Amino acid sequence: MDNWRVRVTLAALAVVAFVLLKWVIDWTGFDVGSALFQLAVALLSTFLVVLVVRYVLLLWLGYLHHIEGHAGRDSGVAPHVTIIVPVFNEEAVIVPALRALLELRYPWFDIVVVDDGSRDQTYAMASALAGRYGNTTLRVVTKRNGGKASALNTGVALARSPFVLCMDGDSRLSPDTLRFAMRHFSNPRVGAVAGNVKVVNRNNLWTRLQALEYIEGLNMLRRAQGFVRAVNIVPGPIGVFRRDVLLRVGGYDTDTYAEDADLTLKILTDGWQIVYEDRAIAWTEAPEGLLDIIKQRYRWTRGILQALGKRRDWLTSPRGGIAVWISLLSLFFEAIIWPAVNVLGNLLFATVALAGVVPSGVFYWWALLTLLDVAAALHSVAMEEESLALVPYAVIYRFFFITTIDVAKLFATVEQIFRVPMTWGKLERAGRL
Amino acid sequence: MKLDALLSTVILVSFLVTIIMAIGSYAAYKLRESRRPRADDAMAEGDTPFFERIVADDAEDSVRHADPPHG
Repeated sequence: MDNWRVRVTLAALAVVAFVLLKWVIDWTGFDVGSALFQLAVALLSTFLVVLVVRYVLLLWLGYLHHIEGHAGRDSGVAPHVTIIVPVFNEEAVIVPALRALLELRYPWFDIVVVDDGSRDQTYAMASALAGRYGNTTLRVVTKRNGGKASALNTGVALARSPFVLCMDGDSRLSPDTLRFAMRHFSNPRVGAVAGNVKVVNRNNLWTRLQALEYIEGLNMLRRAQGFVRAVNIVPGPIGVFRRDVLLRVGGYDTDTYAEDADLTLKILTDGWQIVYEDRAIAWTEAPEGLLDIIKQRYRWTRGILQALGKRRDWLTSPRGGIAVWISLLSLFFEAIIWPAVNVLGNLLFATVALAGVVPSGVFYWWALLTLLDVAAALHSVAMEEESLALVPYAVIYRFFFITTIDVAKLFATVEQIFRVPMTWGKLERAGRL
Repeated sequence: MKLDALLSTVILVSFLVTIIMAIGSYAAYKLRESRRPRADDAMAEGDTPFFERIVADDAEDSVRHADPPHG
């Protein structure tokens, strides 16, 4: 459909929604004195309090993590690491991804590429790079298609190092990633290190908004969790693990669509600490179109729900320690509760405004939330020494981008509750690494 | 019309459009996924199945000595 037709259709639908909502409000007799209004005010106040408390808590803990993390020194120890690269139809990005790995500034590592039955030239292109490069050996193996978790398990089985770095085939690591990540393992209680994922293809509105989201949303949360050493998702594009811990917990399970979240919960509930290292950076290609973003978030949400569903009993009792319990609750809150609250809170305010109770209040409501988002964006961008050009996108971040994503998450939650069948859904890559 | 009232109207309409766009996009995503051929169907049409093949790292012919490529 042409763009102008889409816009006209959306505008017409907005007018219809506006009229319908107004009619419902008139029909229910919603006014200042009504019980409905009192309830709405109470709900909106709660929403605001939760929003502010969440921001303050995340920023404070994140700041403490930043001070603590950047004050430490390298241990000087560089244990051998095997980098596992699971790939499936990654011909657009596999060569630059592997070349970037060979240029890592770390003295002692191998690379194992596990081709998960690609139907394109991925295996041939990766095999052309197989060989020995100084201290580093690059091996390429192929197997029948069995999903990412199965490919990662194959890589873990083939690894001969005490530590493994699991990544995505469409990601590129920064040169000092291993050096910064490995220093955390001088603490014997640390079982895994979560790295910092950044968007590499900031070439349109959607990818720039995702770049901001990764910094302000995902990383801010991960930094706060890192301070209490209970990160609840070691991201797929970059996670470093003790190999014996992976073997002890049984490796990656193949029964969820968020194998990274599932494995993280297994390690956490086995009693290991998981930390965050923001200088261990993986650049990843974000989906460039709205439908692909929805596809990705839909899978993430359902996968997280599946992983949480396997540990329902852990959610109701702090038996693994308070930090683990809070981390699990936080995953449930951030993935399921907060998106719903965000959409419903804004809808409720729109309803109140349409009722004519506080017609001008919408602007102040938006200004307040946007001010918070801009402040958080500035803080996060400064902490990661990122581009200030991303900060202005905070103005449309919540009401446009996050609302769109949260609606998809809501639908995904409902479908997961009703066990609607789904498939993995491979994203198309543009090859911008 | 006062400026804050005008801005409120703009924001309100934008928000409603966003909600509608979000729901529409989700419906479009589901429609697209339902039309996409599944892997099982593709295999049934005669695609080559993949067999497990592991390249031994100590096989001399698979190990090449070279400088890191520059990309």
